Amino acid sequence: MTRQTPLAAAPAVRLRGVGRRFRRTDALSDVTLEVPEGVVCGLLGRNGAGKTTLMSLLAGHGQPSSGSVEVFGADPFTHAPTTSAVSFVRDDQRYPDDFRLPHLLAVAPRFHAAWSTERAAELVDAFRLPGRTDVKKYSRGQLSALGIVLGLASRAPLTVFDEPYLGLDAGARQVFYRQLVTDLAEHPRTVVVSTHLVDEMEALLDRVVVLEGGRVVRDSTVDEARAAAYTVSGPAAAVDALTARLPVLASHRLGGLRSATVEGELTDEVDDAARRAGAQTGPASLQELVLAHGVEPEVGVPGVPASAAARASEGVPA
Amino acid sequence: MTASTHDLAPTATHRLPGAPSALDVVHLQTAKRFMTFAVPLLTLALVLAISGVVAGVFYQLGSRPGTEEWVANSRNNPGVLWALPGFLGYYGVQSVATTFPLALTLGAGRRAFTAGTLLFHGLLSAYIALVGLVLLGVEKATDQWFVGLYLMDVVVLGGGDPLRLVTVLFLGSLAVMSAGAAFAAAWVRFAARGPMALALGTLLVLAAAALLLASQASAVADAFQLWWLAAAAVVVIALACAAEHLLLRRASVR
Repeated sequence: MTRQTPLAAAPAVRLRGVGRRFRRTDALSDVTLEVPEGVVCGLLGRNGAGKTTLMSLLAGHGQPSSGSVEVFGADPFTHAPTTSAVSFVRDDQRYPDDFRLPHLLAVAPRFHAAWSTERAAELVDAFRLPGRTDVKKYSRGQLSALGIVLGLASRAPLTVFDEPYLGLDAGARQVFYRQLVTDLAEHPRTVVVSTHLVDEMEALLDRVVVLEGGRVVRDSTVDEARAAAYTVSGPAAAVDALTARLPVLASHRLGGLRSATVEGELTDEVDDAARRAGAQTGPASLQELVLAHGVEPEVGVPGVPASAAARASEGVPA
Repeated sequence: MTASTHDLAPTATHRLPGAPSALDVVHLQTAKRFMTFAVPLLTLALVLAISGVVAGVFYQLGSRPGTEEWVANSRNNPGVLWALPGFLGYYGVQSVATTFPLALTLGAGRRAFTAGTLLFHGLLSAYIALVGLVLLGVEKATDQWFVGLYLMDVVVLGGGDPLRLVTVLFLGSLAVMSAGAAFAAAWVRFAARGPMALALGTLLVLAAAALLLASQASAVADAFQLWWLAAAAVVVIALACAAEHLLLRRASVR
């Protein structure tokens, strides 16, 4: 395909006050965010947080109940060139009966202007995807691998991956990560990827959006997210005392020991105070931050009112 | 990980590609070449084989090829009428129910998908009409397949008239596929409630029409013209295509 439409000067993704309601359930509420062009954005959150619904809206697979969704400055639901600029293979993707890998590889280039036959062949080979088996009979891992083939080889200006590692073993996941890095280096584009394997994918991400209960509780660069919280661990009494007046996102107790994830910057004063009390401090990992946003607070833990659960229920984004 | 995407220069200055066209959707719909083009042929071959078996039974019972009785019975063979709609109905449903989500995943727009699917239905119907026409030619040239078999030279396909055969096969195939696609579009849009409501609505309209015309049934039967069937098929196709378009226009992928 050689048809071209000028790209508007806009971020890759812009959502303003987006809500998505399924009967009586709000899958997304008042979601406002922007994803700049050319970044890899991690969409993080617990199951049911609204990640797939959000990605579905980005791909024009569904419409918001309220607010507006823009991809490259246009509505992906109604603007056909924008729809075709997005690649999004759902984790429960439906395929026609008797459809096999060669059928998909034969038609996909017609739908994606920048489709790479070489990249597709490389990935098919690396994942050892069978060509003579109906796609409907693929295992979970093979379906994920097929989604990765379609997504990466499409070289769509916005490529969306929905938990692309499901069913893949560690080796296959490394194949995906390596191929993603290599392909983005050669053909920079915007990628949105949802994942629960935060530690494993952290190095790939430029930005993170954390969803909780259909709301955005964090939208920042990875570096900002990492600097946004720290952990205090040690004897429970010491940790309780140290965090009594601090915004504790999450707290876990094991015997007489407690570990708390605190929102805010880790300062020398906090570090000194912790050391004097026999506790340790350290920067929170992205995984800890995400978990903190998704964990219900323990009853009676000091500092808990500022937790993510409280924020979510009050509708206050972090 | 030895490298990171942070190392990448954020210089992704893309131009949006043009949207896939209806022709791209036709390619998607015809990706399964064997299923699309060979299965109708195999279906007709199977009908011919079954017709041969039935003819053999009649032969054993004393009927002989070429006799008036043989010709009359054979030309009432409705085998094609029973065999093709099942395949075409299934194909019509599948062309929307499972192909719509894949087409949108690949980046097709709703309008291009609907136009391409309608075009595909038209092409497949034309192919089946052409196959029927060729088979009718072969049937006549071989003096009914050398043994007095009637597959295409039958009453329901126009009694050997090529124009009627093409019209019946084309409009019949298109009507069945379009109806299947409309029901599938109702399912895509409203899940199980969609096709149920569509079926119920269709039944109500047909029942109302039957009630209205019941008192004039004999007059209608006397005035009946063959072209009425063609007109009815055109109306079914038009309504089904309109329903498919309207239903898919705002449909979410499920």
